[in-house]
Amino acid sequence: MSAKYALGIDLGTTNCVLAYAPLEAKAAEVTLLELPQLVAAGTIESRQSLPSFQYLAPEHEAASGALDMPWASERKFAVGEMARRQGAEMPERTVAAAKSWLCHSRADRRAPILPHGAPAEVNKVSPVAASQAYLQHLAACWNARFPDAPLAEQHVVLTVPASFDAAARELTREAALAAGLPADFVLLEEPQAAVYAWLAQRGDEWRQDLTAGNRLLVCDIGGGTTDLTLIDVAEENGELQLQRLAVGDHLLVGGDNMDLTLAHRVAGLFAEQGVKLNAWQSVSLWHSCRDAKEALLAPGAPDSHRISVLGRGSKVIGGTVSVDVPRELAAELLVGGFFPHCELDAKPQRQRASGFQEIGLPFESDVGITRHLAAFLSAHGGDDDAGAAFPTHVLFNGGVFKADRLRTIVLDAIRGWSPADDAVKELPGQRDLDYAVATGAAFYGWTKEHGGVRIRGGAPRSYYVGIETAGLAIPGMPRPLRALCVVPFGMEEGTSVEVPSGEIGLVLGEPAHFRFFSSAVRPDDRPGDVLPEIDDGELAETDSLETALQATGDEAETYVPVRFESRITELGVFELWCVSTTSDQRWKLEFSIRQDAQDEPS
Amino acid sequence: MRLFLAIKCLFRVLFDADFAEGVRRLTRDGETPAAVPGPSAPEKAAPPRPMAPVRSDAISLLAALQRDARFVDIVSESLEGYSDAQIGAAARDVLADCGKVLKRFFALQPVVDAAEGEALQVAADYDTGRFRLTGNVSQQLPAGGTVLHGGWEATQCELPAWTGSESAARVVAPAEVELS
Repeated sequence: MSAKYALGIDLGTTNCVLAYAPLEAKAAEVTLLELPQLVAAGTIESRQSLPSFQYLAPEHEAASGALDMPWASERKFAVGEMARRQGAEMPERTVAAAKSWLCHSRADRRAPILPHGAPAEVNKVSPVAASQAYLQHLAACWNARFPDAPLAEQHVVLTVPASFDAAARELTREAALAAGLPADFVLLEEPQAAVYAWLAQRGDEWRQDLTAGNRLLVCDIGGGTTDLTLIDVAEENGELQLQRLAVGDHLLVGGDNMDLTLAHRVAGLFAEQGVKLNAWQSVSLWHSCRDAKEALLAPGAPDSHRISVLGRGSKVIGGTVSVDVPRELAAELLVGGFFPHCELDAKPQRQRASGFQEIGLPFESDVGITRHLAAFLSAHGGDDDAGAAFPTHVLFNGGVFKADRLRTIVLDAIRGWSPADDAVKELPGQRDLDYAVATGAAFYGWTKEHGGVRIRGGAPRSYYVGIETAGLAIPGMPRPLRALCVVPFGMEEGTSVEVPSGEIGLVLGEPAHFRFFSSAVRPDDRPGDVLPEIDDGELAETDSLETALQATGDEAETYVPVRFESRITELGVFELWCVSTTSDQRWKLEFSIRQDAQDEPS
Repeated sequence: MRLFLAIKCLFRVLFDADFAEGVRRLTRDGETPAAVPGPSAPEKAAPPRPMAPVRSDAISLLAALQRDARFVDIVSESLEGYSDAQIGAAARDVLADCGKVLKRFFALQPVVDAAEGEALQVAADYDTGRFRLTGNVSQQLPAGGTVLHGGWEATQCELPAWTGSESAARVVAPAEVELS
């Protein structure tokens, strides 16, 4: 078997895209795969993106064959455009934003919990299973189009948010393998994929666009998430190199929040006219608001934009209601709400979650993206800068930036913070805000074969294992935890590290359980460094790790002293091992996703 | 075809209890298929859907225009009693969405690159399907003229595939019922 194509798959929060490039071509020729999908019962249309929605049909609908695809009959669900539309009137049967749930460590992501809050008669699915369904659909589209080059034999690159932690990446991998992706598929961070798409488009010209010492900010605002990445341009042996400097936290705020905010306000304008919109009209209003956002935030935007919502019945003209949305209103809501003017030392407001909070998605309590950006740049300033890591260039990605004014606002904000005179610039070239991630991923896959500039990244965050401190126990008090660094920031793929530490004792025959933490803001910690306490502001707890230590039988000792060894494989998979210091035994630690969810008080 | 039916039956028997019961009755000794008192299972065992689409492309196009743009609704509605502003408000969205459907299915392009009002040379062996000549048509070709209308040409024809039932093949939009 030999691969004929490099495939790039963007498994997005709201849309999935598959791009491919033939490997034998001398120059990368990236094409988007047409994705046949149900747009209505019994109607299959090809689109370039697959909306990441899954509609779980009632029995009578599934039995009719209305949801069948050429490769699957008696389907009980639909993914894609039809599922997205069904979400309007049947949210309790439509899974949305499964990807945001994947990185939600308070939920059991292998348990059928979606659609969130659905009634008992709906056969719910897990976030992993929903992601698998989208990928399976992409795989089926591919295999139908290229029967001679099955997906499982191609070079596949799957993108994940840079802010996904190790557990979320592992779950994504699990869904992908179950969907039939080849075992050697590669995970690539979305902002990096956007940069590769830019590199693909610029060809060799990029060496004129960027010079050593430049710093690139990738500002990727998708439908549901905001992902920030800093990349440094350096020179090595006369060649320009790209080095990923930092990635931001996982921010659950995106374009959909903005459209909904505007829609909510516009629904209020309708209410003032005495018009109450039903669920179907509300969704149609939501889509109209996306267009309104782009129209009202464009250069030379009109003073107002008319939004009409058509009636539900067959009387279109009679049922249509309209309001004029003033530009000022849109600017106040969207710019003031999501891109407020702020100082560099602004900190996003973090609300402490109360104990009674419903276990829904942890949406950002502060939707001010500029404040998150300020905090991100400040956190990565190091000691030599003027307090923050100021970029010289910005690459925008995500449909939100079709609204031109938002790009200007981000650039202006950075200029306002920067003490330097040379203004920050947007990278030149055409923008491909919707498809860049998949395109860049396919290009990346192609360059793996043909060579080309690479972004050197390594681990986007440092990782820590929680170790209980020795000492006198105080009844009723948990022993204080210290954090042992096991993966340093920037640890490269294909390397492993033995973590120096005091001996850690494990009891044979019992499951060993470790709390696990990550940090995006401690790039200087080395393996073996011990943080005396866990600072919530710097370390985020992720899914814990466990392993069952089988006793091999006749050992006298039931207590094994171990050290940690961490590995990042060539494919970007993180592994943590417990290695016995007295024998050659070793145990791999696994994420215990189920366990954590059960521990969580509900 | 019978092989396909056999495979289909195998899986249905395995996963569909009602269907399996129907097959059991069909294969039981001394009981002819005609004696099966009309349960739904044998009906469902009808031959697999024909591979060729049973729906006219014209219906597929109408269905898409209605689904995405409410086109059939608006042209079927009486305009009596509505002001131009009311019609305009509805038509603005309908027209924009119709345009998106046509673009997606047909990727329409003008037949000629020249803009309307620009000069264009018409060859002697021009295709009468691509050009309609007016004015001084008696003169010898090739001859120069002015483009009045750039024409339209579909650069693709990608209509949705239909997998529904024969009885619904002519349904442009299903009736919508909200269960209480």
